[in-house]
Amino acid sequence: MNRWKRLAPVTAIVASAALVLTACGGSGDDDKAADNSKLTVWMMGEGGDAQTTFLDSVEAEFKKKHPETDVVVQYIPWLEAPKKFQAALAGGEGPDVTELGNTETQGWAAQEALADVSDKFNGWSEGKDILPDLVKNAQLDGKQYGVPWYAGVRAVYYRTDWFAEAGVKPPTNWDEMIAAAKAVQAKKPGTYGIALPGNSELPFYSFLWGAGGEIATKEGDSWKSGYNTPEAQKAVKFWTDLVTVHKVAPPAAAGWNEVDARTQFATGKAAMAFAGSWQGGAMKKDNPDIEKVWGTFPIPGPDGKPAPAFAGGSDIAIWKDSERQALAWDYMTVLLSKQKDKEFASSLGFFPVYQDLVSSGDYANDKVMAAFATAIQNTKLTPLTPKWVEVSRTKTVTQAMNSSVIKGQKTVEKATADAATEMEGILNSK
Amino acid sequence: MSLLTKSPGEAAARETPARRRRRRVDHLPYLLLLPCLAIIAVLLLWPLGQVVWMSFHKLDSVRQLRGDREWPWVGLANYAQILGDPFFRTVLRNTVLFALANVALTMILGTLVGLLLNRLGKKMVTFVASCVMLAWATPALTGTIVWKWIFDDTSGLVTWLFNKLPDGLSTALFGRSDWTGYGWFNDPLLFFAILTLVVVWHSFPFIAVSVLAGLKSVPTELQEAARVDGAGPWKVFWKVTFPMLRPVFGILVVLSTIWDFKVFTQQFVLAGGTQDRTTFMLSIYSYAEAFSPPPKYGLGSAIAVILTVILLVVTALYVRMVLKQEDE
Repeated sequence: MNRWKRLAPVTAIVASAALVLTACGGSGDDDKAADNSKLTVWMMGEGGDAQTTFLDSVEAEFKKKHPETDVVVQYIPWLEAPKKFQAALAGGEGPDVTELGNTETQGWAAQEALADVSDKFNGWSEGKDILPDLVKNAQLDGKQYGVPWYAGVRAVYYRTDWFAEAGVKPPTNWDEMIAAAKAVQAKKPGTYGIALPGNSELPFYSFLWGAGGEIATKEGDSWKSGYNTPEAQKAVKFWTDLVTVHKVAPPAAAGWNEVDARTQFATGKAAMAFAGSWQGGAMKKDNPDIEKVWGTFPIPGPDGKPAPAFAGGSDIAIWKDSERQALAWDYMTVLLSKQKDKEFASSLGFFPVYQDLVSSGDYANDKVMAAFATAIQNTKLTPLTPKWVEVSRTKTVTQAMNSSVIKGQKTVEKATADAATEMEGILNSK
Repeated sequence: MSLLTKSPGEAAARETPARRRRRRVDHLPYLLLLPCLAIIAVLLLWPLGQVVWMSFHKLDSVRQLRGDREWPWVGLANYAQILGDPFFRTVLRNTVLFALANVALTMILGTLVGLLLNRLGKKMVTFVASCVMLAWATPALTGTIVWKWIFDDTSGLVTWLFNKLPDGLSTALFGRSDWTGYGWFNDPLLFFAILTLVVVWHSFPFIAVSVLAGLKSVPTELQEAARVDGAGPWKVFWKVTFPMLRPVFGILVVLSTIWDFKVFTQQFVLAGGTQDRTTFMLSIYSYAEAFSPPPKYGLGSAIAVILTVILLVVTALYVRMVLKQEDE
């Protein structure tokens, strides 16, 4: 009894400290007035001078028609975006117009975050020239929930100086790619032939499609995964052999995403990396000199033809809870007009979404953009279903499949079979 | 409890006015507890009730949370789905083994440092205690990011150290001499080892300082007497110090168990998000199910409730043990 009493203060302090420590956390809310004096626009990424200047010019154009409206642009980091959207949706305080990655449009449409703009889009003449694959990617159940803003494809960035030293040319098929990686790695000890983003899916799909495989196809009412096929297994084997057999990428690559991998390239630790044209700016930020020694080539297929690339990019959508949807659409038509789209794309290293602009000669003659201009001629999409986001983002089926082979936990046959089962389970769930 | 009320015999022995005063004071503790209780009710009990309520519904849209859509009642279906999923067994095994290892290591290291602090001189104790408390004061997020850099595959300190090992020795011990590009987080067991290191590093200072406080508040005569009688340090600790500090150890074990069962921040940062499903533990599993698109708030809530129930059971057992000892 006595002992307990003496210890009571200590125990009490320990217990109350625990209470204080567990009861932390909080939340902040932004205020927004419900009138037409302000239009809130969410943009993804960190922005930058070029984008700010461009958006200022869009606002100036928009103000000719709506002089009383102030356009407020807020930048949301890409990885924060899902949380920010969810919080906005739960609290009812969202933007009026938002940018979003084109792989996410369907998912957010299914969550009723985005307004149906089918009528507005169909009545807009310039929209007819937008690349049809990109338009389709922003639809759910036949309704349009976003409008493509810019497009991007991935290609391979490589070190022109190291390739010259090793006496190799940019590869045009898989065998040449391995040979080039080995040659450069032998010449430059302490570097990797390829910065392999083992934990990313989009660059891998080029190899899958290049080998003639498919992610999943719809047969009647149900989805069938293509991972069980010999074509898919060939792609997984090539991708993972880069680490396990050819050793031109390190085991740590199993955990690298595209940013990790491209940083290895930018900081002079790898001879090749997969990246989109829009990522050039970030690589220059890591290392301004990289620009002098980089070149690009399209991701090769196994047989000498460039592999199909994933049609990435961004959409612009109207937030469903916005009270200013007509105003928001007026802003969108200025932002997305052919003239502005061309300006924006060329200032930031993207492609415009208009068919006639993409096929113009400007890009084919550019040292870096030429490879991307080739790649964008032949694009494919991930399965068009709102369930895809669960395969891609939550269960990361493809990334887990490749990582497990790189880490030596599964054979190619077992990993592809497991992934196919898991994918079909998700896509066909009720 | 025993701090504020005197034993009945003592109170009865007092004169009447004093007793009246005492009776009025008796209500004071409850009054003082009231604001705290109100805050706990609003911030803890209400959300807790809501999570339990949510776990009985099928919730897969944010609009349901806002009240724009109805909540379809599914009874125990969420629980059945989780408990029937073989993946849940992996997660539970990870959680329990991780918590056991971490509680044991934290308690051992913390107690040893506490005993050390008790032996040190005044200046040294201030120095060591401040160093140790720095680890405790470092926010989990910041500390873990630093640890992640230490284990970076290309430029991390650990990678550098292993590269400094003589090649022959390194090859003989680990089968490789070049550590650049080695995936420290690739193997689940290695991942858990690093996670344990980070969590123990974060939590042992609290144990150390609490043990020190306990040691300072018990009389030292008994230990001296035992030493005079010829008991070694091992015997003194187990026969004298430990029994005296049993209540402190009791509550520290409960707290450590609770903290180590629900480790989240450190795991989230080290694993780089919710991608590495083989190393999932209950709290990150709950978060991933609830908030990764497409959201499944009902399912996530059910996992959170299961975690809470496990923790309540563990805590109840310990509290019973401690109370029983008090009666002895």
